Parts: sequence; structure tokens; C-alpha cells
Amino acid sequence: MIDETREDRLIDTFATLADTLVAGYDVVDLLQTLVESCASLFDIAAAGILLADEDGELEVVASTSEASRLVEVMQLSAQAGPCVECFSTGSVVSLPDVEDSPPAWQRFRDSAREQGFAAVHAIPLRLRETTIGTLNLLSNIPGALRTQDVRAAQALADVATIGILQERTVRESNSVREQLTLALNSRVVIEQAKGVLAHTRGVSMEEAFALIRNHARSNRVMLSEVAQGLVDQTLVI
Amino acid sequence: MPERFAVAEEELTALAGNESRLYEPFLGVLPVDGLSISTFGDFLQAETISASNAQAFRLDELQFDLGEGPCWDALESGVPVLEPNIRERPNRVWPAFSEAIIADDLGALFAFPLSLGPLRIGAIDLYTSRPSQLSDLNIRRTSDLATIVSRLVLSRAIRLSQSDSEGEADTRKQFSHREVHQATGMVLSQLGISALDARLVIQGHAFAVGRSMQEISEEIIDRRLSFAVKENRIEGSHD
Repeated sequence: MIDETREDRLIDTFATLADTLVAGYDVVDLLQTLVESCASLFDIAAAGILLADEDGELEVVASTSEASRLVEVMQLSAQAGPCVECFSTGSVVSLPDVEDSPPAWQRFRDSAREQGFAAVHAIPLRLRETTIGTLNLLSNIPGALRTQDVRAAQALADVATIGILQERTVRESNSVREQLTLALNSRVVIEQAKGVLAHTRGVSMEEAFALIRNHARSNRVMLSEVAQGLVDQTLVI
Repeated sequence: MPERFAVAEEELTALAGNESRLYEPFLGVLPVDGLSISTFGDFLQAETISASNAQAFRLDELQFDLGEGPCWDALESGVPVLEPNIRERPNRVWPAFSEAIIADDLGALFAFPLSLGPLRIGAIDLYTSRPSQLSDLNIRRTSDLATIVSRLVLSRAIRLSQSDSEGEADTRKQFSHREVHQATGMVLSQLGISALDARLVIQGHAFAVGRSMQEISEEIIDRRLSFAVKENRIEGSHD
């Protein structure tokens, strides 16, 4: 029964993502929906997506929590840990128990342990032979992902890849590199917009993100439009 | 008239990296005989960045040496200091500077402050050989041009303070450090300026206190450091 329910949810998720792709969308918003879907579909505590910048360095572009601690764990994993391993090999890297980390991953392990993450699974965002980033699933309890979970996660990661690369091809023909830069740039504006609200509303960065997201949803506008409006100081929320 | 200033704004922006020529666009739009652009104040060393002629250069040097004069007052008050007839009918008298210019071929002297948010950067000194007025429009336009000059001069100081490799690392890392972007958002909101200027304020402040942008950003986010507009100062420097 539980599997059926989850299957329904998976179908729902893919239908929602497909709708979004057809209707026109905001890439950061799409990736945000995707990591949140992952968190509810799989038995995990947190999820995030890392994209490679121009120099091949991985940056967090979406995560289930804006808490800097989660971002830090993923960023460390992107330096020496499962995420960068997945990125450079282009294969799924599963670390069912962070205590089994090799010595080189010590900083990542310490940070994961401190935040209560016991297992990490990194799924590549692939485009033919290139890997453009990783989808990362973090769990509070040790253990491997089930085979069908890995397949589902890889399918979601592929949707993310399509979403990132298709976003602007309708209007412009940009290289993969440019598409990635655009996605990362919209993240920069979102961070700035969080800062604007942190000041004007006296809230935390996490609360600021929730305010931006809610405003975008209830007014049916793109996340990055709301963020840009706040940064340009033409929008007040 | 306004179009000429728009051209001057573009010309100034295009002079990034050639700051010694920053005086040029001013001569095309303002009825002055010469001008100089200099840094001094809270954290930049006293230095003439650009001067149109020897007289302009000398006016800067005098004020640096004597530690007083219109440029100091402009930076201190955050508003332009206007002396349409500085030798014969001065609005204010500086004990040493006024004495030092008695023999100069000098009519009017106008000093505009250079600042960005809370950062006090320097001043522009403009002079005419004969007494003259600067119209209200010219005063407003010059203040706008001064904002652009402030950005360029501050960027120059930061650029010169960094070794080339550090500069590259800084651009390369533009996507990292969410805190810097978040702090940029807070500062742009505190000061009502653009994101680029807010980033420059953080960079300039980090430079001024000898710490990293990351550290300064964390202080801003933790609300231990704020650039919120203080009445008088920043208000006064615009319009």
C-alpha cells in the first residue's frame, strides 16, 4: 500500500515537473520544487542540487533548507566528499554511512556528523558525456538507497538537467556553459533579495526565502522576478 | 544640457583603469578653468588621482599639506563647498589655506565630496581664475558625476591594494560565499543603492579595516555592523 501511495506521488511529481517545463518556468524555482519533491518521496532528511560554475567548481543552487549548516555540508562535500566524487566520475556515489568516509573526506565527515547526517547519496546531473552538477540526498539514518529509489532519483536528476538546459533555448541559443551561469546568477540575486528582506523585515535568511517563495506563488510570478524586484527596490513585500 | 552630462557620465565610466584622465569629461560640461580629483580621509592615503593642470594640482597639494581647505570641509560635511569669490569675498576663512592662496590667480573654488554610502573617499576641487557662480543645475549634475568618480576611485584603490592573483580569485569566487550576496542585499537596502555599489561598500569597508569581505559580510548578517543611513550625512550628499 505504502508503495502504491509513493508511486502516486512519484507520478504526481513528474506530472508537475512536466507541466512546469511546458508552461515556462523559473529555473531556481523548478530546482527548488525538485529538491522538495525528493525530500518527500525518499526516506531522507534533506536534499540539494549543486551546479558547476565556469571553473568546474560546484555551488549550491537549491536546497530543502536555507540553513547555512546544510549548505556548508554540501559545499564541503563538493570540495572533498561524495558530491565531487559523483561529479568527477559521472556515476552515483552512495555513502551509506558517513563514518566510513576515507581520510581525505574528514572535513566533510565532521560537518555531516555535527549536523546529524548519517548517509549521503549523490546522483549526477548528466548531459551525454558531461556532468553539469549533482543531486544530493542526505539521510539521518545510515543505510543504502533501494534500487528503485536510485532509479527514481536519477530520473528526477535528469529532469533537473533538462530544466536547466532548456530554460532559455526557446528564446536564445546559449551554450551549456552560459545556461549554467544564468542559473547560478539567478541564485546570486535570490541571496541578495534575502538580504534585502532580512533588513527591511528584520527576519532570518531562512524566513526571508520563505517570504520570497510565498510571494512568488501567491502572485503567480517567477521566483527570480520577485528577487530582482526586491534587489532593484521596485518591489516591497 | 542634460544630454551633455549623460555623455560625460558615459565618458567617466569608460575611463575605468585610466583614472588619471578622470578630469577630462568635466572640462567639457562645466564652466571651470581646471579641476583635480583626490583621495584622502578615513582610510585612503592623500593622493591626487587626476589633475587638469598645475594650478589644480597645487590647490590639492596645499590642502593636503595644510590639513585644511574646501576639500576637507566638503568631505567632512558631505555637501559641496561653494566659494564663488574665494579671495575677495570668502564665505569662510581657513587660517593657513586662505593665506596661502592670496597670490594665486584664483576666483572661484568649488569642492565636491567623494563618498559611497558611509565610506568617505576624497573630493573634487574645481576652480575658475575669475569669480564665478555654479548654477543649481550644474551643482546637481556635478554631484551625480561625483558619485561615478567615487566608484571608480574606490575601485582603483582596492585594485591597487590587491596582487593580481588575489583579484582574479575574487572574481572567480563570485558564486561562492552566499553570505557576501546576502550582506550585499542588506547593505543595498540600508543605503538605498544598487547591488553593485553595495558590494563595493562592503569591499571598501573590508579594505579600510584590513579584513576579508567574508568576515565583514558575516558581521552585517549577524547585525553587528550596519551601514544604515545616518541623518544629515548621506542625506546631504544628494540633491
